[in-house]
Amino acid sequence: MPDLSGKELREAFARASVRLREYRETINALNVFPVPDGDTGTNMLLTMLAAMERCPDGDGLTVSEVASQMAQGAFFGARGNSGVILSQFFQGFSDALQEKESFSGHDLVHAFDLATKAAYGSVGQPVEGTMLTVIRQAAEAVKERVGNGDAVHIPGIWETAFKASKEALIQTPELLPVLREAGVVDSGGLGIVVIIGGGLEALVPGTDLTSLDEINLGSVSGPGGNFTKEGYLDTTLETEWGYCTEFIINGEGLNLAGVRDRFQKTSSSTVVVGDDRHVRVHIHAEDPGPALSYAVSLGSVSNIKIENMDHQNSEFAAGHGRPDTSPQTEMAVLAVVSGKGLAALFRDSGCACVVEGGQTMNPSVEQILEAAKAARAERVIVLPNNKNTIAAARQAAASNEALEVIPTANIPQGVAALLAYNPDQPLENNLRAMNAALNQVSSIAVTKAVRETSVGGVAVACGDFIGLLEDNLAATGRSPEEALGATLALADPSSDAIITIYRGYDTDFQSAEDFAQSFEEKLPGIQVDRVDGGQPHYHYFASIE
Amino acid sequence: MAIRIVTDSSADLPSDLAERHAITVLPCYVIVGDETFKDGVDLSADDFYQRLESMPQPPTTSQPSTADFEAVYRDLIGQGDQVISIHVSAKLSGTLNSANQAKSALGADAPVEIIDSNLASIPLGLTVLDAAKSAQGTAEFQTVAQQVRQSLHLSHGFFALDTLEYLQKGGRIGKAQAFLGSMLSVKPILRILDGEAHPVERPRSRERAQRRLVELVRELSPVRQMAVIHSTDPTRAEVVRNELRDLCPDENVVQTRFGPTLGTYLGPNALGVAVTQVGP
Repeated sequence: MPDLSGKELREAFARASVRLREYRETINALNVFPVPDGDTGTNMLLTMLAAMERCPDGDGLTVSEVASQMAQGAFFGARGNSGVILSQFFQGFSDALQEKESFSGHDLVHAFDLATKAAYGSVGQPVEGTMLTVIRQAAEAVKERVGNGDAVHIPGIWETAFKASKEALIQTPELLPVLREAGVVDSGGLGIVVIIGGGLEALVPGTDLTSLDEINLGSVSGPGGNFTKEGYLDTTLETEWGYCTEFIINGEGLNLAGVRDRFQKTSSSTVVVGDDRHVRVHIHAEDPGPALSYAVSLGSVSNIKIENMDHQNSEFAAGHGRPDTSPQTEMAVLAVVSGKGLAALFRDSGCACVVEGGQTMNPSVEQILEAAKAARAERVIVLPNNKNTIAAARQAAASNEALEVIPTANIPQGVAALLAYNPDQPLENNLRAMNAALNQVSSIAVTKAVRETSVGGVAVACGDFIGLLEDNLAATGRSPEEALGATLALADPSSDAIITIYRGYDTDFQSAEDFAQSFEEKLPGIQVDRVDGGQPHYHYFASIE
Repeated sequence: MAIRIVTDSSADLPSDLAERHAITVLPCYVIVGDETFKDGVDLSADDFYQRLESMPQPPTTSQPSTADFEAVYRDLIGQGDQVISIHVSAKLSGTLNSANQAKSALGADAPVEIIDSNLASIPLGLTVLDAAKSAQGTAEFQTVAQQVRQSLHLSHGFFALDTLEYLQKGGRIGKAQAFLGSMLSVKPILRILDGEAHPVERPRSRERAQRRLVELVRELSPVRQMAVIHSTDPTRAEVVRNELRDLCPDENVVQTRFGPTLGTYLGPNALGVAVTQVGP
């Protein structure tokens, strides 16, 4: 692997900013330190965008130009504590890559090292368990990798940094008690992981950030994006947070260390960065007045931003951060469904809540419990809709007595049960009607055989399409439609049957439509309903009622 | 001097039956585009349904006015009659407001009893018919009103609709909104309960809805009168009537049609059955 060009470095950070934008709300929702005001994601994103805006674009760029311009952009556009620290991350890159056209693996290790030093150096009192720790551990991991004599190529180093940053993020609650109390990982730390991960995506085609989904970010990761423990944010309301005060002092021969020292003594969350001509100050103060007066005495003050953190804190606690999970309805239905069309169908037919899951991706007990909570009903009827999900649903119901499970083993049974649901009736009547509905529907699934086999006298070649009737191999065909037709014939629908065909993700509209039409022509009297199910793996589901 | 029963056209009583029992039916108004029609007077059910599907905007309805009520009440009282005025549920219509205002205008001692039926359509019609029969006897005016109020809970109606679209557009969906889904072809069955529409079941086809309608009505047996009602498909109504023939004697069966007022909310291909249960 050759060295990285300026253009490639720019692309890595451009990708990172796209990812940061996607994660903004998640990062905001995690924000409890230093002030629980839900703006870390926004501040990091705006800082990142300011860096990218300043950064030139084009083919012949040197890495030095890219890094120094990004650092400058971030410096002037930095927002909030996390934004200023992020600007120092870029400053470290800029320092390490000075006057370099391209950069090697060794340069990257050096850049992470200087980024760590700049970030720590900017803060009055470094606190572990924050984005500082995440940056540092990434830097240490890449240094160790190179020290071990591992191949020094940039994608490998970047990947090491990504992995180490994830591990550091997971450990943040162990280092910072306030995170533990709130039940979340550090918000700014997640921002750093997303930036490094976004860069990795650009550098190594084929990688992506999905591994972030496995990280348990917080206590309650409900649909509202709330992560803090219930009631936690309310406890923060009593604290007086004061004013988040930011500005840049412009002058000649400014004493950076002296300025930092002065603010460190008089205010909290102090981050002071810059050089002898521009000093950016971020502080939290009860009264921003004296800080500004002092700044004006040193030079001309620009980029002033003052925010009332008590207001931000109470808005955050009232809105984002506090999930209101009090029941609003007596009863609701929750369905486990895979496929956009099927999810839409279940919602359309009266399901309050849909959990993504199916054949190859069974939802966890925890996911079902969380979704049931989000349904905000006193009683929740769960439709697992897959025989492999029934156990998880029952386990969820065993740990929360608000839940009831109708053991729907497939989508057709789920739809039949849902259509038997009537919120106007008491729970007991619904359970009875929904359970009874299971016996009134025959279920068919069509999929592709992944290996050669023979079941009950039916020979199956690999690549054939197979039709399952009530989960038993019933027929095969060279096309999904042929398998579906043969299975339907075996099911022998009565002359006034209603057949519903759920077209899968891999099946095009016309094939399904042609099949349905020819079936109706052959057997007039039978009603064939078509649904664009969009389910993976199964070309068709079908029900006979 | 007689006791006279007044209702409104949302009771869906056949006009010959109303005439025979001297029931006064105030027409509701049906507004189609810029035109306002009197239900059953200058707009027939046939005309209405023929135009319904090609209407650029859904039709709307309006209650009979206070003046309409006042005129009717004055006329009857002037003949020396006493009035029992039974109307569509206040949860579904403002008709009762008009009636009450008219009564106030007539003075506190006007012999007018106004009753909120908590019903609509032919379940209301059957109640009105019952009241008219009692009134033709020698019963006291107040006693008849009392009887009507006490027997309201014996009237029931189930309606199988092709779509809930009209009910929703007309703002009368009530609790039936739980059945609003449109991605599967369901033919919802509703009933009137506590004065508004409630969901009952969601069969997948007209045939099944029709079958369920019959079964649901049978569960209410014994009954002393019955009505079968439709909007555009008399054949299905005929089938249902035949299937339920054993439920009560022919002379107590009313066959009728959802008029333009109800049609505004139920749409084409609606089918319903109403019964009055045998009281205690």
